[in-house]
Amino acid sequence: MNSLRLPLLESVFSAVNLGAIVLDGQRRIALWNCWMTKHSGLAHEQVLGQDFFSVCPELRGGRVEAAIQYALYNNFPSLLSQTLNKAPFALYARDERIQQAVEVTPIAVEGAPRHCLIQVSDVSIAVAREKLLREQAMVLRSQTFADGLTGIANRRHFDVAMEKEHRRAKRGGTPLSLLMIDIDHFKAYNDHYGHQKGDQCLIQVAAALADMLKRPCDLMARYGGEEFAMILPETDVDKALLMAEAIRARAQALAIPHERNTDPSQLVTVSIGIATQKADAPVEMDALIGAADRALYQAKRSGRNLIAAIQPI
Amino acid sequence: MREWLKGTDRDETMTSTKTVLIVDDSRVSRMMARQYLNGLRAEWVIEEAATGEESLVKARHTTPDLILMDVNMPGMGGIAAAEQLRQEFPAVPISLLTANVQTATRERATAMGIGFVEKPITAARIAQLVATLEAA
Amino acid sequence: MLPTFTLSELENDALIEIFNIGVGHAAASMSAIVNEAVRMSVPSISFIPRVEAARLLGAGSGDSGPERICGVSQHYDGAFETEAILMFPEDKSLEIVRLMVGEAVPLKELTEMEQEAMCEIGNIMLNSCVGTLANIFQRELHGSLPQYHVGTSDQILSATAAGSQADTVVLMLHIDFLLEKHQIHGYVAFVLAISALHDLKDQINLYIARVMGQA
Repeated sequence: MNSLRLPLLESVFSAVNLGAIVLDGQRRIALWNCWMTKHSGLAHEQVLGQDFFSVCPELRGGRVEAAIQYALYNNFPSLLSQTLNKAPFALYARDERIQQAVEVTPIAVEGAPRHCLIQVSDVSIAVAREKLLREQAMVLRSQTFADGLTGIANRRHFDVAMEKEHRRAKRGGTPLSLLMIDIDHFKAYNDHYGHQKGDQCLIQVAAALADMLKRPCDLMARYGGEEFAMILPETDVDKALLMAEAIRARAQALAIPHERNTDPSQLVTVSIGIATQKADAPVEMDALIGAADRALYQAKRSGRNLIAAIQPI
Repeated sequence: MREWLKGTDRDETMTSTKTVLIVDDSRVSRMMARQYLNGLRAEWVIEEAATGEESLVKARHTTPDLILMDVNMPGMGGIAAAEQLRQEFPAVPISLLTANVQTATRERATAMGIGFVEKPITAARIAQLVATLEAA
Repeated sequence: MLPTFTLSELENDALIEIFNIGVGHAAASMSAIVNEAVRMSVPSISFIPRVEAARLLGAGSGDSGPERICGVSQHYDGAFETEAILMFPEDKSLEIVRLMVGEAVPLKELTEMEQEAMCEIGNIMLNSCVGTLANIFQRELHGSLPQYHVGTSDQILSATAAGSQADTVVLMLHIDFLLEKHQIHGYVAFVLAISALHDLKDQINLYIARVMGQA
C-alpha cells in the first residue's frame, strides 16, 4: 500500500478540478496540474522548473506576487477575490477568459525550504449569476428613479449613474462620453402649441432617443425641463460623435411640427453638446459635465439643430 | 544639486561634513535614521524636527544639506512642508520617507523634483541615499 | 491585571511606528487595486479589556440596541498567538466596500462576492500589519485565511477562539482610512493573552536595542 501512496497522490493532485500550482522557495514551478495545462495551454514539461514569473510575466509587481512573497517569507496565506482581481491568470474555457478566485497558501516541506501552493477556482458561473441578479435589482431600483412624465430615468438616477460610471471608467481605464441634449426653442413651442402638446413632445422625443440606446450600461435621463443627458460608457469621441449625429437626425425625423423653430425644416430639432473623457486621461466629473454643457451652448450659438464637442480639461 | 548652502553662523570647517535634517513625528524613527547616518558618516551633524512646522524653523536656522521628511505626520504634513522647503531652499535635496509608495506618491515626488525612501528605514536604504547625495 | 501593563513613551512610539509602516504598505496595495490614492495611518493604539473594546465599536447606543458591524478576522500563531480582527462600524463598512468594489449596496444586500472582497481587504491589511511586526521583530509566525463576520462588536470579539477566554486583552489600533476624499475611521483589534503582552514589550525593546547597537 505504501508504494502506491506517491503515485496515488500525484494522480489525485493532477486530477483535482481546479488549478493547482506549487512553487519552491526560489519561486520555481515544482508542480503544475492537468487543470492548469488544460486551461492555460502550457504543458507541464514546458513549465516545470521554470521561474514562475518568466512563465507569467504579467503577474510581476501585482497582488499575486505579493501573495507569493507573504506565503514563502512570512508563512501567511492570501485570498484574491474575484471582484478586486479580475481574472489575473491567462486561463480560458469555452473561448472566454475564466473568472478566478485565487488562494495562495504556504506549504511546509520536510527537508526543504518552504513552498507555496496556488489554487485557482473557476467562478465564472457565480460571477454571471451575480451580474444577472444585479441587473434585475437595478431594474427594480430604477423604478424609483423614473421621471414621472416621460418614464425615462430622472435627474437623481442620472447623478447616481454618472458618479458610478465616472469611477468605473477611471478604474478600468476606459473612455466615457456624456451627451447633453436640449430641445431647440422649447419655450416657444410651449407658448405656441400649449403645455399639453409640450408634454407630448417631451414624451415622444424622450422615447425615441431612449430607444436608440444599445447597451444596458448606457443611460438616457431627463436632466432638466427640456434637457436630456445621455451617459455612454466605454465610448470614445468618434463613437460619441456618430451617436450624437444619429440622435440629432432621429429627433428631426420624428417630424413634429414646430412653427416657432428657427430651423428651416420647421420641425422639432435638438442641439447636442458632447464631452468625452479619454481612456488615458480621466478628469473630474464636474469638468466633464461642464464641458458637455459648454458644448451644448456652442451648438446653440452656432445655429441649433447641431452637435458640438468640447474637450474637458 | 551642486550648490552648497552654508550657514553664516556656523564654524566653516574644510571637511566635507554635512548637516542632515530628519523630520518625523516618531522619535524612534528619528533615532534610527540618526544611527544609520552616523554609522556611515560619524562627522555629519544631525538635526531633528517632529512636525512639518518645526522643520521649517529648523531648516531656516541650520541650512541643511539634506532633508529627510516623513510624509505621515499630523498638522502640516510632510508633503506641504516639503513644498514649502522646496520654495525656500530650492537647492537642498529632500527625500520623503513613506511606507505607502504608490503611483500618486511617485508622481508627486517627481513633480516636486524630490526623491523618496521607502519605510522601514534600513541601513541599506540610508547608504544608498548617502551615496546619491555625495555623487551630486 | 491591566493597570500594571504599560508601555513607556519610547516603546509606544516604536509600536505605533511599526503599525504605521504596516498600514502604509497595505494602503499602497489597495491603491494599486482601485487605481486611486489611498492613505492609511494609525494615529493611536491602546490596550483595553475586551468588554471595553466591544463598547468602542458601538456595543449599544440608546434604544436601537447594539449596532451591527462587519469584521474580518485571521488567526496567527507560532512565536506568539493572536486573533487579529479588522472592524468597521456598520455604515462605514458599506462605504469601504462600496469604494473598493465600486457598487452601492446596503449591508443587507452585501452579496457573497462582496463579502469575499471585504475578506481580501482584511487579508491585505492584517497580513501587512502582522507581517511588518514579524519582520521587524524577526519572529516566525503562521497565519490563517480570512473569515468574515457580521454581528455586534461583542459577538465578533467573542466569536474567535482567543476572544472567548477570560484573561485576554485587546491591543486596539485606531485606523484612519482615506480614499477618494472619503475619511473613514476603523479599527484593528489584536486579541492577546495577558502573557503575550510582556513578550511584546520585550520584543519592542530588543528591536530598539538592536537598531541602536548597529551604529
